[in-house]
Amino acid sequence: MRLLIVEDDLEASGAMTKGLVEAGHECAAAGDGEAGLAEARAGRFDVLIVDRMMPRLDGVAMVSLLRKEGNQTPVLFLSALGEINDRVAGLNAGGDDYLVKPYAFAELIARVEALARRRETGSVQTLLRVGDLEMDLIGREVRRAGREIDLQPREFQLLEYLMRNAGQSVTRTMLLEKVWEYHFDPQTNVIDVHISRLRSKIDKGFEHPMLQTVRGAGYRLEA
Amino acid sequence: MRLPRLLRTTPFRLTLLFLALYAAAASAFLAYIYVATAGEVTRRSEAIVTQEMQSLEAVYRRGGFNALNQAVDERLSGDHPLLYLLMNASGKPVSGSIGQSPVSDFDGDQKWASFVLTQTDADGAVIKRPARGLQERLAGGELLFVGADVGESEAIVVKILHALWGAGALVIVLGLAGGVLISRDVSRNITSLTDVIDAARSGDLHARATVRGTGDEYDELAKGLNDMLQRLEGSIGGLRHAGDAIAHDLRSPLTRLRARLEAAMIEADAGRADPKLALHQALEDADGVLRTFAAVLAIARLDAAGDAPDQTVFDPGLLAADVAELYEPLCEDKGQDFKAELTPALSLKGNREFIAQALANILDNAVKYTPTGGAVMLRVRRRSSGDIEMSVTDTGPGVDEADRARVLERFVRLEKSRHQPGAGLGLSMVAAVARSHRGHLELDEGPGSLDGSGPGLRVALVLPKIG
Repeated sequence: MRLLIVEDDLEASGAMTKGLVEAGHECAAAGDGEAGLAEARAGRFDVLIVDRMMPRLDGVAMVSLLRKEGNQTPVLFLSALGEINDRVAGLNAGGDDYLVKPYAFAELIARVEALARRRETGSVQTLLRVGDLEMDLIGREVRRAGREIDLQPREFQLLEYLMRNAGQSVTRTMLLEKVWEYHFDPQTNVIDVHISRLRSKIDKGFEHPMLQTVRGAGYRLEA
Repeated sequence: MRLPRLLRTTPFRLTLLFLALYAAAASAFLAYIYVATAGEVTRRSEAIVTQEMQSLEAVYRRGGFNALNQAVDERLSGDHPLLYLLMNASGKPVSGSIGQSPVSDFDGDQKWASFVLTQTDADGAVIKRPARGLQERLAGGELLFVGADVGESEAIVVKILHALWGAGALVIVLGLAGGVLISRDVSRNITSLTDVIDAARSGDLHARATVRGTGDEYDELAKGLNDMLQRLEGSIGGLRHAGDAIAHDLRSPLTRLRARLEAAMIEADAGRADPKLALHQALEDADGVLRTFAAVLAIARLDAAGDAPDQTVFDPGLLAADVAELYEPLCEDKGQDFKAELTPALSLKGNREFIAQALANILDNAVKYTPTGGAVMLRVRRRSSGDIEMSVTDTGPGVDEADRARVLERFVRLEKSRHQPGAGLGLSMVAAVARSHRGHLELDEGPGSLDGSGPGLRVALVLPKIG
């Protein structure tokens, strides 16, 4: 993937670039909003990683400008401002996701990859398929290898999110945000319990476990 | 030139304005009364005079000058209130009750005149009275004057006028006096409030305005001001406390982290240990520090914000059901019995996210401290006062009464919970959410001791009804 990092803290930007390149992505960097805008206009990127507070042109203004010009590249905002209204301001300006500093690197990679993937599968799907697992979004049915699996509504949403991001790591925070729509950090890892219930439903009785735990990151659904 | 302070007050100015308005209205009223009464008196006198003139003219037409002269004489000898003067064609008086015609420059056939009648009464005193009369030239060229004394009627008008002027003056004096009194009262009240504001501005947040208990606007204002100062004092105190707490509680994990890294470096230098394990540990420590920092910051921001931002109206039962759904499997995994009693269709105004987080924190604690085989009960109901109560009752060890206020403070962890993970910020966060919604948090004993467990804890987040 080609990524553009727009961040005025050069040390943070350097560490991010190093990690993302190691994860197999191509990275360009810009040190402020104006340079970021120029880069984003010039090159083709899969995801823009934009810091909210920067000199010359702040992240929100930069993304607003890009969106007005019709540039639809997915944007992940990074910010030290984590209040709900800060998030809302970022998302209203055209951001696609919002990550509060400081963050774990695994969280950043997982979110960037989820954003890029969302772009690839932009068309509306009614049937999701990962390996022998099938989800009918209209009939609200899930089958594995033809065998019907009975899921609670929340388990269905959870599995849908995992299937849409199949093959990639999703973090607990992402699940809490996207499936439960909570933006706080529960003290106990309640998500683990929900995952293990889902796992017992989709993997039990099958030789190949699909729902895997990624150490230090979260979970991944593998075909 | 500056006016005295009292005369510059708003109530005094308003008093003056009302007085001016009153004076204008009173003047118009007086003018109307005067025109109506005085006009009426004149009209009535004129009607009487005209009528008499017509009857005397009839006598003249029938019997000529002599008959008229006789009629005038007859009227003069009788007790007649009117004034008469009959003159020959050259204007020389022939007979009458007045010596000379009050009408001057008479050259037409008819002319009205107002004049002053001078009489001498029985005691010899001179009395001047206003009078009005009509002079006409008769067919033979003689002149006849008939007049009426209007003194008595006009005296009434004058009395009315005097009464009105007197009343007006009284109103103005009373109005000014009242204005001064009200202004002084208002100034006193306002001054006591501005004194408090001045004190607060110069840094004394302990100053409070006097609430006199009359329940009037000044009391409301004083109460509002006091409430504001209370909150200000609380949040500034809270921020100061948060600063101290952050410094205190981040120092120990950061020191631990530093020590761990240093030890790992020495070990790695000596080639004795794999630095990877130490790095892993350090990362976990750092995450812990960051989580604590985020929680403290969230609490401080909530406290600093006063009222929680982005408040909406929602059904607290549905919100509780959502949070319960997140925690129920955790309870089951821990072998705890989970029950929820949610009153449907209630409404609550607040920040959904904060309230959900508060409820999650309470449930988190309950699940964490309740032993296997215990029970956790979530309840949402409306109290008879209309307030919404969201409570969680567990059968864990509970919190001793003496410690209940203390566990709401930041970073306080009781001895019996030392072995549990957590930064001791959960309930402080809940208390901050309660404060930012003008509600409160109640801690009570749970269902009591049973089989060596308990007595349990009941934590209730009580939020005020809408409006």
